[in-house]
Amino acid sequence: MRYQLDIEGEAISLDFSPVEGENTADVSVDGVKHRVRFQTVPEGRLHLVIDGKAVEAFLVAVENGKQIFVDGHTFLVREAGNRSSKRPGRRSADEIPEEVTPPMPSVVVRILVKAGDHVRRGQGLVVVSAMKMETTLVAPHDGRVAGIRTAIDARVAPGDILVDIEKEVSENE
Amino acid sequence: MFKKVLVANRGEIAVRIIRTCREMEIQTVAVYSDADKYALHVLEAHEAVHIGPSEPSGSYLNPERIVEAARKSGAEALHPGYGFLAENGEFAALVESAGISFVGPPSAVIRNLGDKTKARKIMQAAGVPVIPGTMEAMTDVDTLCGEADRMGFPVLVKAAAGGGGKGMRTVQGPEDMREACIAAISEARKAFGNGAVYLEKHLLNPRHIEFQVLADHHGHVVHLFERECSIQRRHQKIIEETPSPVLTPALRESMAKAAVSAAAAAGYVNAGTVEFLFEPPDRFYFLEVNTRLQVEHPVTEMITGLDLVRHQMEIAAGSPLPFAQGDLVKRGHALECRIYAEDPTDRFFPCPGPILLYREPRGPGIRVDGGIYQGFEVPVEYDPILSKVITWAEDRKAAVNRMLGALRRYPILGIRTTVPFLMDVVQSDPFIKGETHTGFIEEHFPNWSPPEKMHHVAAIAYAAGKSTGAARTRPAWTEKEIPATPWQALGQWTL
Repeated sequence: MRYQLDIEGEAISLDFSPVEGENTADVSVDGVKHRVRFQTVPEGRLHLVIDGKAVEAFLVAVENGKQIFVDGHTFLVREAGNRSSKRPGRRSADEIPEEVTPPMPSVVVRILVKAGDHVRRGQGLVVVSAMKMETTLVAPHDGRVAGIRTAIDARVAPGDILVDIEKEVSENE
Repeated sequence: MFKKVLVANRGEIAVRIIRTCREMEIQTVAVYSDADKYALHVLEAHEAVHIGPSEPSGSYLNPERIVEAARKSGAEALHPGYGFLAENGEFAALVESAGISFVGPPSAVIRNLGDKTKARKIMQAAGVPVIPGTMEAMTDVDTLCGEADRMGFPVLVKAAAGGGGKGMRTVQGPEDMREACIAAISEARKAFGNGAVYLEKHLLNPRHIEFQVLADHHGHVVHLFERECSIQRRHQKIIEETPSPVLTPALRESMAKAAVSAAAAAGYVNAGTVEFLFEPPDRFYFLEVNTRLQVEHPVTEMITGLDLVRHQMEIAAGSPLPFAQGDLVKRGHALECRIYAEDPTDRFFPCPGPILLYREPRGPGIRVDGGIYQGFEVPVEYDPILSKVITWAEDRKAAVNRMLGALRRYPILGIRTTVPFLMDVVQSDPFIKGETHTGFIEEHFPNWSPPEKMHHVAAIAYAAGKSTGAARTRPAWTEKEIPATPWQALGQWTL
């Protein structure tokens, strides 16, 4: 079996060839070969022995892949072609998302701009609150506020675009 | 002793209080909102009373509904837990006036100490050193900006009614002051129902060291040693331990003495915590008194062998403390990690949702105080704390290793949690050396991302799981309603 996997935004290719009966396989991950013995245990548990080293994994099926817990770490594993825009790859703290959308299910508590306002990249537009934590959504680029598509107290989710920012053609460019 | 107690809280702390009450043969009454119909504290209590909508202001922050629930259920006492109304003096007064014992200090003491500026004045008068800053609280943003300019940056904007990092902002320069004040005031108003803030000089990288105190109605005050809570994110403690790796016996002695005088000066009764900021090598300043059980109280329980909730109940019922300071000893080292529903791979955003797989670690010296279970849906409305892992061992190194092992064996799937981040912190060199301070996370883990070396193992697990059909599928009922557990179906009874 050949897999093209997306693990937390990282592409990994894997070859899985069962050998010597059904509980052992030769596995090649991005070209690195491993001998793997495996045994399922009820309730989403998987006992693996990778190159002689025992590993416990826990698996659950989620929307378009599996969430896997290994040694304290949790991974979303998806097969390529099965990617959704809902969970983008890892993002650094100062990277600004391209769209004005909440990162988690939340409630709008403040709107800092109005239609027609000129905004700078990084300027705060809307403040949302989830689990008592307030987060400011910022402008992805310089521009003009073309429309506000939300209201105070609205329940919003990732993917909902809350503010439209129109790029302005600068006379200097 | 009381026959029946209402627990005015939710989550892990409500569960923890209910369990001690059961041991003391006290009947328990839980309260719950719409979102918490199937929460663990509801399932574990003898009785449960619905008090309102999911939005906290209508339920867990609604004093009238809670007191009404206590009265109707015939509870003689009310335990507030932490957060919500736990440090609200008006609420405590309402409970007292209903003839119900409040498991905490008298309402007047909560009011004095809950007003952080008044507390600073009391401590100053008692000779306890306080942090330089303003002595009055306000919501006037212009005046706050002016005061900050006079004091010099960086400053800390703090909610006068605050705690737990809510309504608090660190401000580096005048250009950020205005929005920081507005945000802090809004957050404070929401969290505590009072938006007033004050300013404190922002100390550079102090340690947070606090002392647990117990005081009875008969004038006895003792301390139960310190807890170091320097590892914080967004002003929230995330890892706590005792003893502090930095205190010498002489320093411990002098800080404990200050803590006991602080409690005595305030007329304190019940369990409380006197918090200090510590500047190496030996300076400490009073920060605030938390007039309630702390999230991190279990580490104190582990090294002293005492059940703090039991002592809270006994004090509230009027019993004198059964020990004097000289009777108290500590043994070994304890560590606590708070597990939050936050996604460490996506900037620690809150991560509510259904828990599809859940298994707590077990073993010698491992304690898990949790408020969740497999199948529970973590609501968007409340604090993201899910549980706490506490480990105890003979020494710090063994307690840290035990913690690491426990976190490795703690799968919580369906949502994301801070477990992998906590593992990296506790196994980092500066943490192992005990070089902790409140700026530790910003200094050593500013843009944390998980180690990539585990991705191959996850890939293998995926393929192996695929070939054997392993993986728990989402049970159909989490889509709609959770079926009644056998306990709910059977109803309440007493053996």
